[in-house]
Amino acid sequence: MGPARSSGVGSGNSGAYTTEIAESLRFEEEIHSIVHPSLDSSPAAGGSFTALLGLPANQAVELLHETGPSEAPSSAAAPSPTGELWRLRLGEHAAGPLHLPLGCSPTFPSNAALVERAARFSVFAAEDSPELSSGGGPSPRLKAEPPDSDSPPPLPIPTEKTQRPAKRKECEKSKAKGPAKKSKSAEENTVAAPKETAAENTDGEKLPYVHVRARRGQATDSHSLAERARREKINARMKLLQELVPGCSKITGTALVLDEIINHVQSLQRQVEFLSMRLAAVNPRIDFGGLDGFLLAECGPLATANGRGGVALDPALWSSHPVTANGARWLPQPQIRHVDVWPTQQSSTAWTRDGAAHPHALLNPGASLFGYDPASSVSLNSNQLKTEL
Amino acid sequence: MLAFRFLRALTLVHRTTPNSSNAARSRRIQRAAFASMAYSAGPRRAWSRALLCRFHFHRARRRCAGRSRTAGVPRRPSTTGSPADGLRRLVPGGTEMDYCSLLEETADYIRCLSKQVKLMQSIVDSVGPGGR
Repeated sequence: MGPARSSGVGSGNSGAYTTEIAESLRFEEEIHSIVHPSLDSSPAAGGSFTALLGLPANQAVELLHETGPSEAPSSAAAPSPTGELWRLRLGEHAAGPLHLPLGCSPTFPSNAALVERAARFSVFAAEDSPELSSGGGPSPRLKAEPPDSDSPPPLPIPTEKTQRPAKRKECEKSKAKGPAKKSKSAEENTVAAPKETAAENTDGEKLPYVHVRARRGQATDSHSLAERARREKINARMKLLQELVPGCSKITGTALVLDEIINHVQSLQRQVEFLSMRLAAVNPRIDFGGLDGFLLAECGPLATANGRGGVALDPALWSSHPVTANGARWLPQPQIRHVDVWPTQQSSTAWTRDGAAHPHALLNPGASLFGYDPASSVSLNSNQLKTEL
Repeated sequence: MLAFRFLRALTLVHRTTPNSSNAARSRRIQRAAFASMAYSAGPRRAWSRALLCRFHFHRARRRCAGRSRTAGVPRRPSTTGSPADGLRRLVPGGTEMDYCSLLEETADYIRCLSKQVKLMQSIVDSVGPGGR
């Protein structure tokens, strides 16, 4: 990866490995289970890993180097802390049990970059076992540098990638994220990615717990890009829905939010049904008397001329209403204009200016839609509405 | 626009069916409510198109007195329990949308439904206790 990383790693490694090695022992089974299923493409790596366990630290380190990154990720099979553990394992014979704080579930560091990172994180272990530092010191450095020079093999990366989606969230706040990301970036990204990781590495060296938040150079893979875009789109729309549905913003979790949305839609539909029942029982006496005056005020003198022909429209009104534009395209008659005739004198103040009236447009399609005799509806104009009551 | 359409439809319903029962009239009013909703939303929305198709189809069926084709056949029965199944059933035309557009249509549908409910509520309130 980058030379900067290796140098950074080497400096912080001394003694850290030993503590990590002890931790690695604990996670061995876990990692094994992860390593083996994911190591479909590199079975040798898994086997060699176990073989490594029996090797003295130095030989193990050499093996690590030889096998290169393919070995590292498979054996590491964990976020940077655990990944490093593997390496440290090699030196574990030289060191006693170590206690390494592990915050993440194991993931596969895909390449040598992780080795470095592991070495870097070994700083944690350094505090606990100073006696091991001597043994662990050189090996991490060794491990760190050669892997850097190695090019990341494709093998570990696919396995790591499969792990990453699952583990990414868990490791998001931990340093492990860095290595996991690094591996992916190393695999897919250009040189830019390693540089980022190098920067992260240097940060990690200085502080024991670096919350890696930087989004790794994102995959240039078109599939993942499209997926990411789609996911973001879906998230944005879910957010809009949450704002629409009252009381939904506090709920976390997609399933619950969806349930809440479904409940809301069902309640709205039930309300419509209930209100229609009430309206059926009650015959609302609606006074359309003010309609003519309103039309005159809003539109030209032609507005109330007839209910059949096109109604003169104030273009400003029309343009202000996006819906009206659609309605114009929608309806068969091209000369139909949309008039915002909803009179303010109406008793119901709940009706907003939204209720733009389309007298002519409404008559034909609306009547047909409602299943009424078109003839009767066509004759319905504002005057008729007035006389109906 | 929604208000005008709906009020017009409402008055038409009352005028043309003075003798039918309240239940039948309420069904017509409910259909009128959904129809005016769909018309005011415009043909841009998938749900409004689906609603209007449903209405036209039902009307044609009634006029033709013959079963040209079965309506409401689930085109994509969800064998796998996808999270949006319930939503698909509720939103008109939801069974044939992908998840992304389903969310968008749901948002628009909810907005329109709330407007319709507010409108109907205000009509009921304005009429007051004494209807006829």
